[in-house]
Amino acid sequence: MRPLFFRDLSIPIGMGALAATTLASAIGVASLAQAGPKDVNVYSGRHYNTDKQLYAEFTRRTGIRVNLLEGKDDELIQRLRSEGSKSKADLLVLVDAARVYRAQELGLFQTIRSAELNKDVPANLRDPAGRWFALTRRARPVMVNPALVNPKLIRTYADLSRSELKGKLCLRNRASVYNQSLTADELVRRGKPATQQWIKGMVANVKEPLFTSDTPMLRAVGLGQCGAAIANQYYLARMLRGDNRADRAAAAKVKVVWPNPTHINITAGGVTNSARNPEGARKLLEFLASPSSGEGYASANDEYPLKGWGNNPTLKAFGTFKASSVSMEQLGRRNREAVELMAQAGWK
Amino acid sequence: MQTAATSPAAASAPPPRASRWILVGGVVLVSLLALAPLLSLLGGALFGEGPGGLALGVDGVEQMRGTLLLVAGEGFIGAILGTAIGWLTAVCRFPGRRWLRIAQLVPMAFPAYLLAASLIDWASYRGLRIHGLGWAVLLLTLANYSYVFLLSTESFSVSGRRLLEASRSLGVGPWPSFFRVALPIALPSIGAGVALSAMEVVNELGAVRLLGVPSLSAGILDRWQVDGNPQGAALLSLAALAIVALLITGERLLRQRSRRWNLEGRDAAEHVWQLRGWRALLAQLVTALPPLCALAIPVLWVQQGWQALAAESIGELAQLASRSLGLALLATGLTGMGALLLAICRRWSPQPFVQQLSFLAGLGYAIPGSVLALGLIVLGGPLGFSPVLLLLWGYGDRFMAVSKQGLDAGLERIPPSIDETAASLGCNWQGVLRRIHLPLLRGPLLVGSLLVFVDVVKELPITLALRPFDFDTLAVRVFQYASDERVGAAMAPALLIMALGLVAALALVPTLERRD
Repeated sequence: MRPLFFRDLSIPIGMGALAATTLASAIGVASLAQAGPKDVNVYSGRHYNTDKQLYAEFTRRTGIRVNLLEGKDDELIQRLRSEGSKSKADLLVLVDAARVYRAQELGLFQTIRSAELNKDVPANLRDPAGRWFALTRRARPVMVNPALVNPKLIRTYADLSRSELKGKLCLRNRASVYNQSLTADELVRRGKPATQQWIKGMVANVKEPLFTSDTPMLRAVGLGQCGAAIANQYYLARMLRGDNRADRAAAAKVKVVWPNPTHINITAGGVTNSARNPEGARKLLEFLASPSSGEGYASANDEYPLKGWGNNPTLKAFGTFKASSVSMEQLGRRNREAVELMAQAGWK
Repeated sequence: MQTAATSPAAASAPPPRASRWILVGGVVLVSLLALAPLLSLLGGALFGEGPGGLALGVDGVEQMRGTLLLVAGEGFIGAILGTAIGWLTAVCRFPGRRWLRIAQLVPMAFPAYLLAASLIDWASYRGLRIHGLGWAVLLLTLANYSYVFLLSTESFSVSGRRLLEASRSLGVGPWPSFFRVALPIALPSIGAGVALSAMEVVNELGAVRLLGVPSLSAGILDRWQVDGNPQGAALLSLAALAIVALLITGERLLRQRSRRWNLEGRDAAEHVWQLRGWRALLAQLVTALPPLCALAIPVLWVQQGWQALAAESIGELAQLASRSLGLALLATGLTGMGALLLAICRRWSPQPFVQQLSFLAGLGYAIPGSVLALGLIVLGGPLGFSPVLLLLWGYGDRFMAVSKQGLDAGLERIPPSIDETAASLGCNWQGVLRRIHLPLLRGPLLVGSLLVFVDVVKELPITLALRPFDFDTLAVRVFQYASDERVGAAMAPALLIMALGLVAALALVPTLERRD
């Protein structure tokens, strides 16, 4: 028998050594960045490099270091829930009111009192009980290709069920939380029968199959395959500002039509129930919601600040709109009902 | 499932008692580690708090149907494609065969979610809709047929060459030889490959979501995380588990029916079928098309938006890559050792419970990564385990089956008479392992390790859920960009994942070449 064994072993040993060194260096970096009772640990559903610059600015001003764990919102909620009181997270930042409300219902946030937050965050954009506060606003207008659909036809979301749009309307699927919140908005403003009628009308107009994301849908609008679609404004802004020529050309053909009122949603944050540094987390929240840094936090993703329209030139070109007055808390509260209604009315 | 009677050497030459108990203890330990998160989950789901609801519902039925269709479609096409390519490249000769054989390793490096995301992205610029079950089956087959190819080609090259020779000298043509001799011998390996790829399909999340196909994996996550209904999620998990158990059992049955111990020298390699003319052309076409398609998708995608690469920070990419690499290497080592222990013990220990435990230890492959991760959080949180340790535990649990499947198939090709001879000459199981099994298992061990390595580099849900603060990997970064619909920005880390996978896949080339 050939003495293969030792040759065999050299591979795993070599691999092990390599693995140990790379991982040790990686963990070393990570553990250096951890510890410190004065740090604020953030679980965030946002993933923008410019966020890190803002956190760095916060550290420079206050001396409080920010450790970041970015993930998908639902996953972070579940992680925080499973970790319970052992969780290291101090601040939870989530996108979309429905998810924020879900986290609130699971008891993941603690109530905080802050005159600053109450001043900077409009009342309909925060929890009445003070458990979470909006940090940015996003809108979900109608995106129209004027070559196919006359923009004047659409004054409200209800107009999307008009028969003129038959075969021209493109929608994202029911699983999209953005559509769920939009439906909840309609539900609060117009009641169940009208909302059901509206969905049925849109489903009759829709061009199958439904999309699983907004950006390909906007490209389809730009390329003339869809006449109208409902999408968040920042996806279009991103295409317009991006470095891809084909995207810029497609986006240039898309006109933003603001329904009256327009559905808006939020990115929001709250101090976790298990926070070890609730003070630091509150300060970070105040910092992010303040008008000076809030502008940066919003424009990182082409979103709107909490008040006004901000200075983002791409967004300014879209024009202004009348935002729906439905509170974020209501959007969350009615989410389950909205999803059920969507399923009943045939929104796939 | 294997029974005591079929366990080879144990009856005639049992290894010394004490050392055998070490083996059994090891198996119990590994299996407990593998099963603990599942049990904690099941307990939490059935007895935990939260709104209940065990009804499958309309959605549940749709999701079950989606997954079954995906598994059936991918399994069928993947089995035919993988076996055909395995056969053509192992025992036929045609121009370009060597390169085309190596090329089969390329699709392995490309995770299905990346193929789906980049294809959808690329096509949407051209007004093409990539959507639905058909595309899902196609992309999943492309991403996973290599499992069947690798295991079947290995079997075609190693086993039954002499039988093939005999059948050929008796005037049996290539096709009958294939169907009557080579295929039955290779069936266990093909079955193992199909089972592995089908399990990947059961678990696939990103691709099926992007393509809008309802699936159990997405259903489990949604019920758990969005609806806050752990019981419902556990029910769907059980459905997924049942599909996988069925797959594994089917594979076992296949293997038992066609058990032929085979150990031949590599001297028979010169007897091959020369393909000429249109036959050679067809062979080239069949073997070239899948890797070309798999390669074309990312290449077209990069060509579409390479500008995004300019904005990348090299230092950060290097850090992400080193984490991915380190985790993958560690996980590969751990998984390999665990799988070897399970496989060896199955061979030596006739006790049915050992057989069953080692079967159960592979079930982690069936659980969607995110669910497994939750189980680990529930389990490891109170114990204060470090996240990296939990992460490795998760990888080991998830990918044990990948390593083990190949080893089991490899061990079954070694006739028990060899173990018996060695034992009767005074060799204990360690000796047999060192001097006989390990050298003979080099191939499967290497193949298994590389598959695990590539799988860990591509792995997303467990990493996403368990990693500590400021500890992103390549796959995590890709996911974050892609979930923000900034697919273009995900390009650099995505390419690095593919590159790491390619390097690992190309490490298999010498194994493939040695068979020639």
